[in-house]
Parts: sequence; structure tokens; C-alpha cells
Amino acid sequence: MKKEIAITAYKCKKCGKLHYPYHDRCLACKSREFEQIKPQGNAKLLTYTAIFNLPWGFDQRFLLIGVAEFENKIKAMGQIKADSVDQLKVGMKVKPSWEPIRVQYGEDVYGLKFEPIP
Amino acid sequence: MRDVAIIGAGMIPFGRRDEDTLMDMLAYASLKALDDAGLGDKSVDAVYVGNMGAGMLQHQSAIASSLVDRLNLLPAAAETVENGPASGGSAVKNGLLAVASGYYDYVLVVGGEKMREVTGWRATDFVATMTHPQAEYPYGITLPGMAGMFTRLYMEKYGVTREHLLAISLKNQEMGTLNPYAHVEMALDRDGIFDSPHAIVNNPVSADPLHLYDLCPVSDGAAAIILCPLEMAKKLTKPPVLIAGFGQATDTQTLQERDDPTDLKAVTLAAQKAFEMAKLKPGDIHVAELHDAFTILEIAESEHVGFFKKGEGGKAATAGKTRLGGQIPINLSGGLKARGHPVGATGVAQVVDIVYQLRHELPKNRQVQKAENGLTVNFGGFGNNVLAFVLRRVQL
Repeated sequence: MKKEIAITAYKCKKCGKLHYPYHDRCLACKSREFEQIKPQGNAKLLTYTAIFNLPWGFDQRFLLIGVAEFENKIKAMGQIKADSVDQLKVGMKVKPSWEPIRVQYGEDVYGLKFEPIP
Repeated sequence: MRDVAIIGAGMIPFGRRDEDTLMDMLAYASLKALDDAGLGDKSVDAVYVGNMGAGMLQHQSAIASSLVDRLNLLPAAAETVENGPASGGSAVKNGLLAVASGYYDYVLVVGGEKMREVTGWRATDFVATMTHPQAEYPYGITLPGMAGMFTRLYMEKYGVTREHLLAISLKNQEMGTLNPYAHVEMALDRDGIFDSPHAIVNNPVSADPLHLYDLCPVSDGAAAIILCPLEMAKKLTKPPVLIAGFGQATDTQTLQERDDPTDLKAVTLAAQKAFEMAKLKPGDIHVAELHDAFTILEIAESEHVGFFKKGEGGKAATAGKTRLGGQIPINLSGGLKARGHPVGATGVAQVVDIVYQLRHELPKNRQVQKAENGLTVNFGGFGNNVLAFVLRRVQL
């Protein structure tokens, strides 16, 4: 079953600056009042990498990771569903989903995944 | 505020030191610095230990307390300073401020890390714990991965090429062969890692677009300095080195929250503060140790501290302007790339290397002739906590 993307961004009620992840004070005006915002629509890939020397907890050959910007301007890191960096380009559209990103203590940990949109 | 001088410096060879515990390494480097300062059996007033991972890697806490006991520096004040890969720089800063304030006269600052005790898989995870615990770490991001994403943006914006990155690898590993304290004492062959069709085997992609030889090694090591007020330093035999300027600045933890992720604001601000305090400009610096955990960082930092305009650092490196004899020699120790990067030791080791330069003690093939002013940049997180020091040779 498709899961809802479970990240929340925070829009400053005073100056409108968007934050993800959470900050207790706005990065622009230091206000403490925020409106909770959910990411919307597809996203645009801003940068990416393929990591071949993985950290403990990842038993695979390599991992594609990038940062993408949603249609409502929220920026977030996620894993990328592709076979190689050759399929990726800065600025390309990607479809976000909420899927298992790793296993910890025998349990799936969920997070953002981005799939290139042809 | 009192002027503060470095009167002793010491380090042990970086690398894989299976025979030594973390405490052994901290003790050896400390003793070398104490001896270098000519303090003999005298004690110090306070000890600051820069270390990032003893709790995680050695299952050991309160290491500063252990060190004063081991060295019989009792009853000196002692504490450990943890600030990620900038732990060493932060320890130097704490020592500097303690002496400058007038509270302590003699202070030992030592940085050390023992990273090869665990597998590369675990060490990579350990370093990644400095990333954001919800928005970054769970995805498997690593510091080389952060650097890979940064490099891609820097290449697109400023035209940095792999050829530019290669110039840093070749220079720093060549300098490592001349430094008896370096972890990697192996010069690189351009053909073998870049031009040849087999280069991809010798120099595989590690964090695209960065390759293996764009990354520093995982190292064990320690380095130490002794600080005291400049007025008291003038009575000693070795030429004291003044900490003429210091600056520290922070930035957002995640790259995506920076207005321009290629702008290392904390590097610029830390360097500006250090230059301002020292009343010097980037052009007054004769030698620098920059935090080249990844080759791209030496290029980016050389621009952000003001040695070169944005987009010119890579070209300057390929033109030889950052080699010995060039416009501004950078990382003549081999840098993190070859000296190694035991994370808590690095910020102190950079200062030690500049002290050797300003005391004119190095062999000709590493010594900047008549060097008077030096700069260090210790880069924590991915540029979210940076310290810069301007050091000056004191004319007695």
C-alpha cells in the first residue's frame, strides 16, 4: 500500500521562510511561530551522488542519494531509485515516495525515495 | 586580553597505529610538545583535549582526566572538547581564550583520534553521525557523499573539473612523501589514476563525482601544542609563534537550507575574523594548511578565505600557484589528504605544521623561505562549524 510522505516542513508565520528540518527559531527572522506544511507534487533534483563506501547498516554495492525540491519549494534529501548516476541529471523531475530506506534492529525504517520521471 | 604564543609543538606519525591506544597517542604527542617547549618536569595549568569519537570508538569517556593522570599533570584543570572534525581547532581556541583571559599561564592543547580500531564500515558510520539525525543520517549519507553532492554543484557553478581536483591529489600526496608524520607516503602517478584506461580500477568512484584519491584516509594520530602569554614566551629558547588571529563561525547543518549550497559562509566568516584580529589580509599569508578532507575543499576554501576569486582556485592549483614556491603554498604537510585525518587531531596538527613553518625548521623541500605569517582552516561538519587561525612568527 502506498504510504503518505511523512515529513513536515515549517513555514514561518512572520516572514514566510520555509524550513526543513525543524528549527525552533526562524532562520531568517528568528520568529518562533510556524505553520506545518506537507510536501506537494513531484520534485526537481538539485544535486546527487552515488556512494560506494557505505556506512555500517547498508549491505549493498552502492547507494544513490540526492536533494530535491518539491513543487511547493520544500527541499529534502532522499534515496534515488535508479541503476546508475548516468540516468540522473541536475534539474530533472523525480517522483517522490515513502518507502523503506534501511533496516535497523530488524525493522524497516521509512524515508523519502525519488524516482526519475522519464 | 593578553597576546598568546605557541611555545611548544609536537606530533606523532599519523597512520594505522595498532600498537597504541588512544591514550598512548595523546600522551606521546603531549610529551613531545612539553619537551619542545623546554618545560621539562614542570606542569601546566590546564589541558584541553580535542577528540570526536572516544565514546563511540573506544567506549571511553572523560579522556582529558585520564591524560592528566597518565602524564602526572595533576592537579591541572582538564577537559575534552568535542566539535566533530573541528574538535582540534576548538581545543586550540579554548586554550587560546583561557590564556588570553589571564586565568591560566601554561596550557597544553592536544588533539587525537584512533579511528582504525574499527572497520571502514563502522568508521564511515561514526563520521556520518554528525549529519542531521532525521533529515540526513537515516538515508545512508556519508561525509564523502555530502562532498560528492557539493562537488557536483561546484563543478556546475564554477567550472571546476576533475583535472583541477587531480592537481590537489598529486600535490598533497607528493608532499606527504616528504613529511615523516604523514599517513600516506606514496606519490601518485597521473597516468595510473587519471589518464590511463585502467585508471578507474586504481582510482574508482567513491562518492560520484569524487574518486578514491579525492578523499583523505581514515587515520590514527595525535598532535599537541603548549600555549603561554607572549611576554613569558620571550624568556624561552625557541622562537615563539603568536596566535595573531582567530575566528570561528557556523552555518546550517543541512546543505539544502543554505541560500547557495556552494557558498561556504562559515569558512569566509571565520577567516575574515581571524584576518581582522591579526590586522592582516589574505595576501599577507605565506603558507596555509587548509582542511582538504576532499580535494574539492582545498579549492573551495582557497577561494573562500580570499586567496583566489571564486572559480579561480582550481585553475590556480593546476598552474602550481599553491605549490612550494608558488603564490600561496597550501598543505605542504600533505594536508588531510596525505598527512591523514584522525578527526580530533587535525585542527591541532594543522597548527603544529604552521609552527614548524614559521620557526623555519623544515627541510628545504617543504619550507617556505622566510615565512612570517600562516593560516589554518579546520572545517567541521560539512562546513557548519569552522575555525581559522592566523599565526605569526615573533621577532625577538
